[in-house]
Amino acid sequence: RLEEVPLEVLRQRESKWLDMLNNWDKWMAKKHKKIRLRCQKGIPPSLRGRAWQYLSGSKVKLEQNMGKFDELDLLPGEPKWLDVIERDLHRQFPFHEMFVSRGGHGQQDLFRVLKAYTLYRPEEGYCQAQAPIAAVLLMHMPAEQAFWCLVQICEKYLPGYYSEKLEAIQLDGQILFSLLHKVSPVAYKHLSKQKIDPILYMTEWFMCAFSRTLPWSSVLRVWDMFVCEGVKIIFRVGLVLLKHTLGSSDKLKSCQGQYETMERLRALSPKIMQETFLVQEV
Amino acid sequence: LANFFELKSSDFLFKFLVIGNAGTGKSCLLHQFIEKKFKDDSNHTIGVEFGSKIINVGGKYVKLQIWDTAGQERFRSVTRSYYRGAAGALLVYDITSRETYNALTNWLTDARMLASQNIVIILCGNKKDLDADREVTFLEASRFAQENELMFLETSALTGENVEEAFVQCARKILNKIESGELDPERMGSGIQYGDAALRQLRSPRRAQAQSAQECGC
Repeated sequence: RLEEVPLEVLRQRESKWLDMLNNWDKWMAKKHKKIRLRCQKGIPPSLRGRAWQYLSGSKVKLEQNMGKFDELDLLPGEPKWLDVIERDLHRQFPFHEMFVSRGGHGQQDLFRVLKAYTLYRPEEGYCQAQAPIAAVLLMHMPAEQAFWCLVQICEKYLPGYYSEKLEAIQLDGQILFSLLHKVSPVAYKHLSKQKIDPILYMTEWFMCAFSRTLPWSSVLRVWDMFVCEGVKIIFRVGLVLLKHTLGSSDKLKSCQGQYETMERLRALSPKIMQETFLVQEV
Repeated sequence: LANFFELKSSDFLFKFLVIGNAGTGKSCLLHQFIEKKFKDDSNHTIGVEFGSKIINVGGKYVKLQIWDTAGQERFRSVTRSYYRGAAGALLVYDITSRETYNALTNWLTDARMLASQNIVIILCGNKKDLDADREVTFLEASRFAQENELMFLETSALTGENVEEAFVQCARKILNKIESGELDPERMGSGIQYGDAALRQLRSPRRAQAQSAQECGC
């Protein structure tokens, strides 16, 4: 269901991206707007992993911490974290060929990256929502690179989302809800009336950066923008989904009760998650 | 036509929770109950999943709305907000993991405090099929259940053993409590609502009377 980008357009984009990546500091300093625009159009698949590392700053982070990952990789790790991580290894994108086989390369790398994080930030340990994030990264880059990208996401992009009390996610839930008031008063009123707290529907959306919600082609497009512009993209996607699911009295007819509304938000219409529509709305 | 069957009327509607540590098989129990299949490739739950099903308990149709929650400790602050108004709960541990069993008291306190004092809970020792790796004996768990006034079953989401029973037994106990007057469906936050069939009866008093006359035929 990927939308085809014509081959010559793709080649053009690739050479533009190559030029950017080869002169990254200059581009970041002088033409950030242009980078943003190109991320919105979608990063060419062949360069996506590399681009994410540049955009997130994980490339620099790795260069500043040469050998750190290997060091963490050799340590045994805390049993209480290892136990939970191991329970989750076969539960990330089980249909993706990389993660299909138990104990296969994908699952092994996932284990290494998540374990390394619990050693890097022992006070935070492992949060189950980190696994899908790490898995998406591993589909695009080797373990060491994925580790530093995960570090950037956990510390710079979504700080506090995965730590002990999950306070940051609850706070962002409230912010999302007050933004909804402006974006779609109908949806806002409906959710208020049914006393549906934002964390009831946005936890997985935000903590997994939509990687388990949207169709795959849309996940990649959203991540291209997210890695470039940060958490505001996640908010915008959330608002688009809410607005187009609960934003008119017509749509609310089948959402009489709290449970029905929640069910509707769990089973979003494919039309509104389709990449072109979604990216345009965002 | 499919819609027609979904609209099958129910007498009651119960809100149920599935709680317990991460990786004990909560979502698989729910899937087995609803689809009668084992879900081998399921994601772990972040936040909440749902399912609903109408079951027949002693001639009454009960619609269960089941909220399946994330198990990891740190999601507790988030999942607590799902508890409100639950009438029943499956409290799940993994018979091959002592740690998941040791956590039961915490889950129990949370459920009774946040859902309702009267919540009916059935303890489920899941992964019964992995008897060779057992770390928690049946006897030990049934004692725990007795001490804490829980019903108890060992279940297998893999084979389906006792899965339907767990939900049905829990629903039956709630129905009994309603009939004995111990639970009042009309009270706010009871987690119980009248289903559409019962509402129709309430709206046409003559039929309701006829029905109660029949029931009094004991």
